[in-house]
Amino acid sequence: MALNEFLEQLQQLSTEATSAFQQADSLEAVEAIRVDFLGSKQGRLKAAQKLMGQVEREDKPVAGKQFNATKQAIEAGLEDARERLSGGSGSRSADPTFDNTLPGEAINGGYLHPITQTIEELKDIMGRLGFSVADGPEIEDAWHNFEALNIPPEHPARDPLDNFYLATAGASAASDTEAPLLLRSQTSNVQIRVMESTPPPIRIISLGRVYRPDTADATHYPMFHQMEGLLIDSRVTMADLKSVLRLFATSYLGSDVHIRFRPSFFPFTEPSVEADFSWNDKWIEFGGAGMVDPNVLEAVGYDPEALSGFAFGLGVERLCMRRHGVTDIREFYKNDVRFLHQF
Amino acid sequence: MLVSWNWLKQYVPLDMTQAELEHRLSMSGLNHEGTRGVADDLAIDLEVTSNRPDCLGHIGVAREIAVLWEQPLTIPDPRPASSAPAAAEQASVRLECPELCPRYTARVIRDVRIGPSPDWLVERLATVFRPLNPDWEPVNNVVDITNFVLMESGQPLHAFDLEKISGGQVVVRQAGKDEPFTAIDHHEYSLQSGMCVIADTEKAIALGGVMGGADSEVSSSTTCLLIESARFDPLATRNTARALNLHSPSSHRFERGVDPVGVEWASRRCCELILEIGGGELADGIIDTGEPVAEPGLVILRLSQLKRILGIDVDPDEVNRILTALGNSTAAAGDGELAVTAPSWRRDLTREIDLVEEVARIHGYEKIPEDVGVPMAPSHRTDRDRVESIVRQTLLAASLDEAMTASMVPASWPESFTGWTERPPISSQTPMLKGADRLRTSLLPSLLEARRVNESLANPVIELFETASIYLAGDGELPVQQWTLAITSAGGYYRLKGIVEGLLAALKIDIPLEVKAVDLPLLDLSRSGELCLDERRLGFLGEVSPEGLKQFSLRNGTSLVELNLDLLAELAELVPQHQGQSAYPSISRDLNIVLAESVRWSQLEQLVRATAGKELEEVNYQETYRDSEKDGADTKRVLFSMTLRSQDGTMTGEQADQLREKVVLQIEKQLSGRLLS
Repeated sequence: MALNEFLEQLQQLSTEATSAFQQADSLEAVEAIRVDFLGSKQGRLKAAQKLMGQVEREDKPVAGKQFNATKQAIEAGLEDARERLSGGSGSRSADPTFDNTLPGEAINGGYLHPITQTIEELKDIMGRLGFSVADGPEIEDAWHNFEALNIPPEHPARDPLDNFYLATAGASAASDTEAPLLLRSQTSNVQIRVMESTPPPIRIISLGRVYRPDTADATHYPMFHQMEGLLIDSRVTMADLKSVLRLFATSYLGSDVHIRFRPSFFPFTEPSVEADFSWNDKWIEFGGAGMVDPNVLEAVGYDPEALSGFAFGLGVERLCMRRHGVTDIREFYKNDVRFLHQF
Repeated sequence: MLVSWNWLKQYVPLDMTQAELEHRLSMSGLNHEGTRGVADDLAIDLEVTSNRPDCLGHIGVAREIAVLWEQPLTIPDPRPASSAPAAAEQASVRLECPELCPRYTARVIRDVRIGPSPDWLVERLATVFRPLNPDWEPVNNVVDITNFVLMESGQPLHAFDLEKISGGQVVVRQAGKDEPFTAIDHHEYSLQSGMCVIADTEKAIALGGVMGGADSEVSSSTTCLLIESARFDPLATRNTARALNLHSPSSHRFERGVDPVGVEWASRRCCELILEIGGGELADGIIDTGEPVAEPGLVILRLSQLKRILGIDVDPDEVNRILTALGNSTAAAGDGELAVTAPSWRRDLTREIDLVEEVARIHGYEKIPEDVGVPMAPSHRTDRDRVESIVRQTLLAASLDEAMTASMVPASWPESFTGWTERPPISSQTPMLKGADRLRTSLLPSLLEARRVNESLANPVIELFETASIYLAGDGELPVQQWTLAITSAGGYYRLKGIVEGLLAALKIDIPLEVKAVDLPLLDLSRSGELCLDERRLGFLGEVSPEGLKQFSLRNGTSLVELNLDLLAELAELVPQHQGQSAYPSISRDLNIVLAESVRWSQLEQLVRATAGKELEEVNYQETYRDSEKDGADTKRVLFSMTLRSQDGTMTGEQADQLREKVVLQIEKQLSGRLLS
């Protein structure tokens, strides 16, 4: 017997039985239909099972599978009909041994560090605003960390007490006359590297670890994460800066936020401001920002008469602490799994 | 910078409320940090950025207020009466180091009466000094007046007892090596060359720009004064103050730069007040040494630049008013241009952009809109971000928590694991945390430390990973910063190997993972390996040796893996291409093979793959067990299964059996194994 022929017969059997069970109007009628289809001696399903012996050997697995499915379908039709005619749930009884309040089977996934979660959210928001992520080295030379950022050698920001300069021996092949390498004190070094190697327009964020000597306490740590944004184009103004920061803050906080600028001083921007955002009727410090200083544009070979741009930076830890109510920055680097599992 | 409300009123009317004043100063550049009452005055704490030393005196702050509220500013015009003989006949100044002290002036007052200061003077000083130092007390009229002028103009002054200056001669020179100096705080300091001292013919009597000396200080018996008003080099002053850890209100101001013209004004002002309060005779003239003050340059401000940078127009009259009120002199230059000369106290105004900022901060940043339509731009996700995301998903699914640890570590940590480099680690001149001055060459010790912290808290499950840079000394200009992944787990070798294999699968890297023996003391000699892809080093994997556990004070065993993420990122297939699947069912066959103990699974697997050919879909290792009684010594039974599937039709049992026989035959021939039925 061909497999197809057999499968068709099964299909027919299933359709007929289902229809019969659905139309039955008494439990007696249901019983008669049951005997007709599922009877152990003369039942039509039993007859079909016998036919399976005639199916080709290699088709047997498929045939067998379909036979079982048909049998289950007919039995389900029988159950449904009995249920319907015996007046609904009366026959159902709960299993007293099944405790549906026992805990579920744990899935035990791992947790991302809260700093990473914050960074991912920042990247996500800034990505939607058209800013791509740029990477740069953590060990940096004086040109990219200071000089090109309008921080000349006599500037206090270059003081050895405020930076992690590398011991020259073995640090690099750089000659002794050059300023030593250091761990970057801000992510602005990435701005310089990107502008040096890319023609404008530029629309990037750089994120990562930065280093400044500090005694570790509840609000300070000698290593932290920064996000910096940079936009350079032919017609960029402080109004664009304010508007981008407002879009960012509104995306991050999910409600209408306003931005306030207070004058400040950074070597690499002019004008320089501290940006605040309004939240719950309070002004919260956002971070430093400003228009890229013409000296910086010149240092990377851009024409400050033809281009302008803004930059802004913020501390990731501070943002994360405020968002999640973390009161001690050292928790981030202790890696107590009970802490990590909270985020 | 603490300013006194009552004192400010001397120079500018304060018709606004205290809150208004604080707010508007904050919004224009002098951030308000707090206010406290002192007697019937207010001490207002303002943060002065390092580019604005002019606001380190009351007059500077008063000028800001005058500009903001469009009020007149009244500055004293001191004209102290003087008489012969001239100062130059009673004292002399020799300036030997103009690079450390560009200008040094001196005036001389005779027959002064040292005594207590009048109440008004004490009250002024108490408001600005007592909040910082509750024990502050006035010294005497002369010293208090020098402090008053300091806090009025921002110009530090020093009064010497002229009779204690040996020879009446002041020498401004570099300090000798290890030259001793007793400061006014009666501490002894050992000076170094590069520091500027004020000396007489015998010894240093003051540390230029930082602090006066004990020997020449004004005392109750003093009658004859030499009033120093000078300008010391900012960088040299900072270096001196830092080297000696001796910071004073004077050094704070000289580090930021004082008004070169104001040097002389402050001297006159100081003498006027001394004559008024302490009496005495001012000698004619001033001893003025050093370079003449350079004329400030002309800066052209194109009014169109305001719109270009700020995004808003500012009325030209308003621009002119702001700049003039700040002390600039302005003149119309070309069309829409202003020629601006900055005042001597604003040496930060040298470029057009500096003037743009001045106009902006006084005009008010609140006038800049926050809702302009910023053009849209596409942004793209970097490959690194994509790889990092896949790696994280995989590791989270493997029940690992992400850790973050410091980039600098104690010296013993890099020594404990030298897998990536034999070179010594790069060290920093300053440690990051206590004793941690080495840039890490591996993340593993940091994770073991995190593990120890968790063990000490009896946290039952400690499964951690970190992705970060390690720093390897190299021959290039910058050290190699290798993007690295490390894991610590309580599971054994095979759990971590499974995670590595899972990572390769998730990143669609189908290069076979090779494991080579490796001898690293941190890891168990057998249960470890160096991981390679196409002969390139991917990383290291292993269970920590007993010595390693001891070194990191760990109670329980742990396994580690560390991988080069740069290599994984390079090899990752981030846009996998579809391969058509066979439409036919698979069939599997189990094999139980007796082999010599020395045969590695990798050999067996390779042979099976090579023999079974393209119809082999998977080889799945099941388990190994040993029965030396039945099979002989040094043997093992390896149970594995092959999943077979054909592209052309349903593979039959006979076909599968044939393939199995072919494989078994080769195992017998090449590996001397035999099938157990």
